[in-house]
Amino acid sequence: MLNQKIGRAILLVATETAFFILFVAFMLTNETLSIIGFILFFILLGIFFQRWKKANEVLTKLFKEMKILSVVASILLLLLLPFVFQKSPYLIHVCVMAGLYAILALGLNFQLGSTNVVNFATAASYGIGAYASSLLAVHYHLSFWPGLLVGGGVASLFGLLLGIPCMKTKDYYLSLVTIAFGLIVYVLLINFSWTGGPNGIPNIPGPSLFGHSFREPMKFFGCVVPFQSNFYYLIFALVGGALLVAHRLHQSRVGLTWNAIREDEIAARCQGIDVTRYKILAFCIDAFFGGVTGTVYAHYIGFISPENFAFIVSVVVVTMVILGGMDNVFGVIIGAVLLTVIPEKFRAFQDLRLLMYGVIVVAMLMFRPQGLFPQKLRVYKR
Amino acid sequence: MAEILQQMINALLIGCTYTLIAIGFNLFFGALNVVHFSHGDVCILGAFMVLILFGIFKALGMVAVLPPVLFVPVLIILTMVVTGALGAFIERVVIRPFRFAPLLMVLVATVALGIVIREAVRLSFPHGSNPQVFPRILPQQSFTVGGLLIRVDSLIILSITLFLIILMFLFIQRTKLGAAIRAISQDGEAAMMMGINMDRTVAATFFLGSALGAVAGVLIGAYNNIIRFDMGLMGGVKGFSAAVVGGLGNVYGAIIGGLILGFVETFAAAFVPGGTPYTDVFAFLVVIFFLIFRPSGILGEKVYEKV
Repeated sequence: MLNQKIGRAILLVATETAFFILFVAFMLTNETLSIIGFILFFILLGIFFQRWKKANEVLTKLFKEMKILSVVASILLLLLLPFVFQKSPYLIHVCVMAGLYAILALGLNFQLGSTNVVNFATAASYGIGAYASSLLAVHYHLSFWPGLLVGGGVASLFGLLLGIPCMKTKDYYLSLVTIAFGLIVYVLLINFSWTGGPNGIPNIPGPSLFGHSFREPMKFFGCVVPFQSNFYYLIFALVGGALLVAHRLHQSRVGLTWNAIREDEIAARCQGIDVTRYKILAFCIDAFFGGVTGTVYAHYIGFISPENFAFIVSVVVVTMVILGGMDNVFGVIIGAVLLTVIPEKFRAFQDLRLLMYGVIVVAMLMFRPQGLFPQKLRVYKR
Repeated sequence: MAEILQQMINALLIGCTYTLIAIGFNLFFGALNVVHFSHGDVCILGAFMVLILFGIFKALGMVAVLPPVLFVPVLIILTMVVTGALGAFIERVVIRPFRFAPLLMVLVATVALGIVIREAVRLSFPHGSNPQVFPRILPQQSFTVGGLLIRVDSLIILSITLFLIILMFLFIQRTKLGAAIRAISQDGEAAMMMGINMDRTVAATFFLGSALGAVAGVLIGAYNNIIRFDMGLMGGVKGFSAAVVGGLGNVYGAIIGGLILGFVETFAAAFVPGGTPYTDVFAFLVVIFFLIFRPSGILGEKVYEKV
């Protein structure tokens, strides 16, 4: 019995390590052909797991049984990443960006996935958070850590502001309001002089913790990792937090209420659910996530301009949610990572990046509208 | 006074292009209850089509031979046909699969399709990210009447728009296909029971809307003398806003909505101090205001939700 358990634990850790090594190898390849080979391999792997139900079931059961072990193992593996990529700061940068997009996508998922409220204003809350915290940091020397809360807070205030007119509208009208809001924020950022106009804000100070500046390389027992690792660990912690929040919300009454609104708004209202309140709540939480992400981005890159927060960013985040699987928090994160990493790997064809996003969305909606990892039906304890 | 009149001409011109785009949105919404968010990009694609056709004609030596009076209408009609066919093709490939799917799907799909069109245009033209010089297909002269500077091309733009709108109304009111379009916009199922071919009528609607939109794109290009690949995003959102302000689904509402947006923009730029960079903000604020206080638009019917 004990032997069996140890055996399964080893199998679990081995599976996770195998996936991790695959990911690292994929990140380290540079030739177009081998990148395509890797992607084909991943697709085949996906098809294999879908066809061969037994293997799928065994793995799912394994992960469910030893939840704690699987979480701890994956955390440890991901913490090792900066050491693996020690020689190539660029790859760590890609991972940081993937993490940022993962938080944005998680935030949007509350609306698009859980509540079925379309929001094309993610870039707006992302930008508002970034600008709010950077302006305070540059002019009033506000440090990064309260800046995180301020960025998130200001963004969610604007989310509330956007949410209120949105509640009068539905479907197409709602998406028009959010698109218009995103464009308004973009136009204002370009034209205001106190936000730096089209030139943006340069020289945003980096965060520091216990006297250690995040712009300096990290040292662990004589092992030096590039400065991006600071932000990697920061974003790792934030994604973990966001994931926890998203997961808990999904399990809670709030998540259930959102799902009820998604399935049938009128029925939900008849059950006594305050639809307006819960929809606005989704707006505010999404905006808070966006604002926090914007703050991290601004202090990481050290320079922001309106171009970083254009309409296209919103569409990219929507793409991530749809690709990953609406309402599935883990799927959404995988979608965000895939859509950040794969375009970076095809840097030679960078011009085609946006075209690719567009084609992916249309194709996904047509052939697999539930996303790569569809959310399973809710199951309650019997 | 002259200043106000001058601005009114500008407002009319902008309103015309918005109206032409908004008619498309209303036709599509009437036919299928969908909002085709990439419609703006299809319209600007019309302008790029003129760029291509003009290049071909020039290469064939037709520009020098034919007088502009003969040549420009041919150019515009060809563009309308090609863009209209493209619109019908888009309906067939991207919109039809979602006919019975949740609204959200077709919405996101068309937004993504807009990106595809925009990027395809950008990539297929040399230096596609930069503004492209639009061929001067309209006369460039201007004259003054009582202190008013009037450009000949703006007169032509106004008359083309007016002509097309009247033509479209005649088509919708008097022809059999027009009656079919009206029928499916009232009740698709009932229309099908009356023997109307739904798919063909919807295709015709998309052809018509896209062809009119292409003219809007051409007029924008001809008036500004430049076009850029990403004009379609703003154009589409403005056209949709005009449709919403006028009443989504009501073709007549498009005219009112387009003119309101045109006037708001021009007068915000002209009479609000320092307002020029913020015209879009004013326009969208008006739209949001309308959505809050009159969500069904000026001419739209109030829709009650049935359970």
